[in-house]
Amino acid sequence: MSDFAGMEDLLQDFLIEAGDLLSGVDNKLVDLERAPNDRGLLNEIFRGFHTIKGGAGFLNATELVTLCHLTENLFDKLRTGELDLSSEIMDAILDATGTVRVMFRSLEQGVQPKAADPNLIERLELALQGRLDAGAVQAAQSKPVVEEKPVSSGGIELFTDPAPAAAPTPAPAPAAGPDWIALHHAVSGQPAAPAGSVAAAASSKPAAPAAPASTNPGGAQVPVVAKKTPEEVIKDAVGRRATDRPGAISAPVGRRENERQRDTSIRVDTARLDQVLNLSGEIGLTKNRLNALRSDILSGRNDSETLHALDLAVSQLDLLVSDLQNAVMKTRMQPIGRLFQKYPRIARDLARNMGKDVELVLEGEETEIDKTMIEDLADPIIHLIRNAVDHGIEDPVERGSTGKPLKSIVKLQAQQEGDHIVIIVADDGRGMNPERLRAKALEKGLITDEEANSMDERQSFNLVFLPGFSTADQVSDVSGRGVGMDVVRTNIQKLNGSIEIRSQANKGTSFIISLPLTLAILPVLLVRLGDQPFAVPLSMVREILPIDPEAVKEVGGRATMVIRGEVLPVLPLSGLLGWPLDRTPEYGVLMQAAELSFILAIDSFAGREDAVIKSLDDFRPKGVAGVTTLANGQIVLILDMKELLGAAGEQRGVTRRTLIREAPTPKPDQKTLAA
Amino acid sequence: MSDPKMKILVVDDFSTMRRIVRNLLKELGFTNVDEAEDGAVALQKLQGGDFEFVVTDWNMPNMDGLTLLQSIRKTPALKHLPVLMITAEAKKENIIAAAQAGASGYIVKPFTAAVLSEKLQKIFEKMGKTTA
Repeated sequence: MSDFAGMEDLLQDFLIEAGDLLSGVDNKLVDLERAPNDRGLLNEIFRGFHTIKGGAGFLNATELVTLCHLTENLFDKLRTGELDLSSEIMDAILDATGTVRVMFRSLEQGVQPKAADPNLIERLELALQGRLDAGAVQAAQSKPVVEEKPVSSGGIELFTDPAPAAAPTPAPAPAAGPDWIALHHAVSGQPAAPAGSVAAAASSKPAAPAAPASTNPGGAQVPVVAKKTPEEVIKDAVGRRATDRPGAISAPVGRRENERQRDTSIRVDTARLDQVLNLSGEIGLTKNRLNALRSDILSGRNDSETLHALDLAVSQLDLLVSDLQNAVMKTRMQPIGRLFQKYPRIARDLARNMGKDVELVLEGEETEIDKTMIEDLADPIIHLIRNAVDHGIEDPVERGSTGKPLKSIVKLQAQQEGDHIVIIVADDGRGMNPERLRAKALEKGLITDEEANSMDERQSFNLVFLPGFSTADQVSDVSGRGVGMDVVRTNIQKLNGSIEIRSQANKGTSFIISLPLTLAILPVLLVRLGDQPFAVPLSMVREILPIDPEAVKEVGGRATMVIRGEVLPVLPLSGLLGWPLDRTPEYGVLMQAAELSFILAIDSFAGREDAVIKSLDDFRPKGVAGVTTLANGQIVLILDMKELLGAAGEQRGVTRRTLIREAPTPKPDQKTLAA
Repeated sequence: MSDPKMKILVVDDFSTMRRIVRNLLKELGFTNVDEAEDGAVALQKLQGGDFEFVVTDWNMPNMDGLTLLQSIRKTPALKHLPVLMITAEAKKENIIAAAQAGASGYIVKPFTAAVLSEKLQKIFEKMGKTTA
């Protein structure tokens, strides 16, 4: 069945490593387009193809070797300055990387890849001979496959064939070249038909999406590349994921199995594993020490020296265990850059297809995030980027008329904020129009007239997350798959994260995703209501302060305190929990949840702790993130502040009178009140 | 004859390739194998450990295989080390460059355990002669 009997392990390794490498190459190609003479980049891309070729040789993947070999040779000539990078060469190279990816997919299914499209090979060969100019491309692309050499015509009529894919019947298949093979191959999961019969396959496929011919008003930058829909671009770039969705033609079962295999493995820096090993060794030693001390103590030795030694050993164990926890957690962490890497190419291809000039700027690629989250984030981020390029960014004409620079910047940014990772996809486009969003939702019957009237800007933006919401132009490119922003939000929420939108007319739109750093350990502050302890995430705590009743003012019917000029609402925890407010809180915890700062009023606090979260999967009361066990064995609820605040809604504020009990039982430490 | 306990350093930036070479060496009975991901790391490991054989890729970031070979030959403590170059290039000028730099052998990817074994034997024979 498989062409790789006995080599499966090797194949898996190769695919993972070479896949990373190819993403890197793709990324560098995008950079290269902006700096065509960068010798370092050329060298690195050359080495990428060279390395893939070397590995492919051992897998007997002849066609992959051939393709990589040609591309590598091309880069050899580019890096030595023998050739100059023209846009035609660039297109050939980009097609080549696309084809390499298609071949990887075939390898993933355990099938030797079929030969690359002869057109592509020919274009690469022409490029190598320094004869690939616009005319040659045109000729190579529109001539029948069987012909030997292209006729190098004048190359003037570059734009007569703007969207070959859109031609209704017997489309000249070679014109669309590698894309059809790729598409057919990827969609059907069958071996690509021999080049000669591709025409039949292509024209008989009703699903073949017609590229919107209108998306290329500029035209000039996109002379020869066959148009693809955004979905195709994404699919070409990421392969398996985008296709593996309900609604898409289902892939063969074998491939799913392969995928499952891939997803459960992780590559860890050996230094990190060594650290884990080292720490567990140390813990073993400390355990031995404790064992020895135990026998000493049990046999009656309890002099101060022994006890001191016990104290030392226990504190050492304490330190080691927390180090070990961190080290183990780190083995699951991967720099998010590995995910980000694939996006510049996707953004570039999408933008080019639409005749827009977009640069995707990456920031914070070194930010580390749990591996499982990386995988689950891939699709939502693609969707957001696609959205930004497609809808966020204006077309060049509109941009020009508003006086913005023609090149637009889409920023993909990651950073750690306390125990959260924040990922931002921001464009500098036209911004979202709350008015239009509301009208749209109303028209679709998603909201009532009344609701529409009472919505503020933020609520209006959030309408895009409603299932079934999509603006008119969106329908064409998502090709009726029903994958929309609602899926993005659902996926983010599954990761315990949240997504919010900020948008300014003409300035752009930002999607802000906030995710927990890890799902395992959480530093918490223990607070008390009466005798009952609760844990709140320490990352949200800015400071702890005593609540002086005289400092509590009433603003707009709500109890507030002014802390360094900032007016902050005082929210009693008992109120949030729905408990009766029967005593005046003594302490306030200044907390920050997203953009909201407030003072959480509590009775007392009991210090901080690194909580190992046990989630309450089946039974999860609102506002409770999980439970943890204290050193004394007591079980404590960990509060999910965002949820608590959300649940309380607008009624969460209390009046000063409710907060401060006017006839308190005098306590020694409440002299101010008594006085 | 060759000693199966011989300590071998495999240098390649592509970990899959290191694994391939390692597996092939294992097939031939060599199990005492360490890895380095580029020339610079390799040189450090060589200076630190008692390696007896080096198998290196040519094309690597930081320090390529040829530079590694030249550095080995220039270092008095290491210059006797047999170095087998592995590359995907079968070009004449590459082979000549490697030979001039003092490579003990040259293998073109892809290769089988048999080819590797043959090359190794040749190198051991030569070594046997020079030390005898």
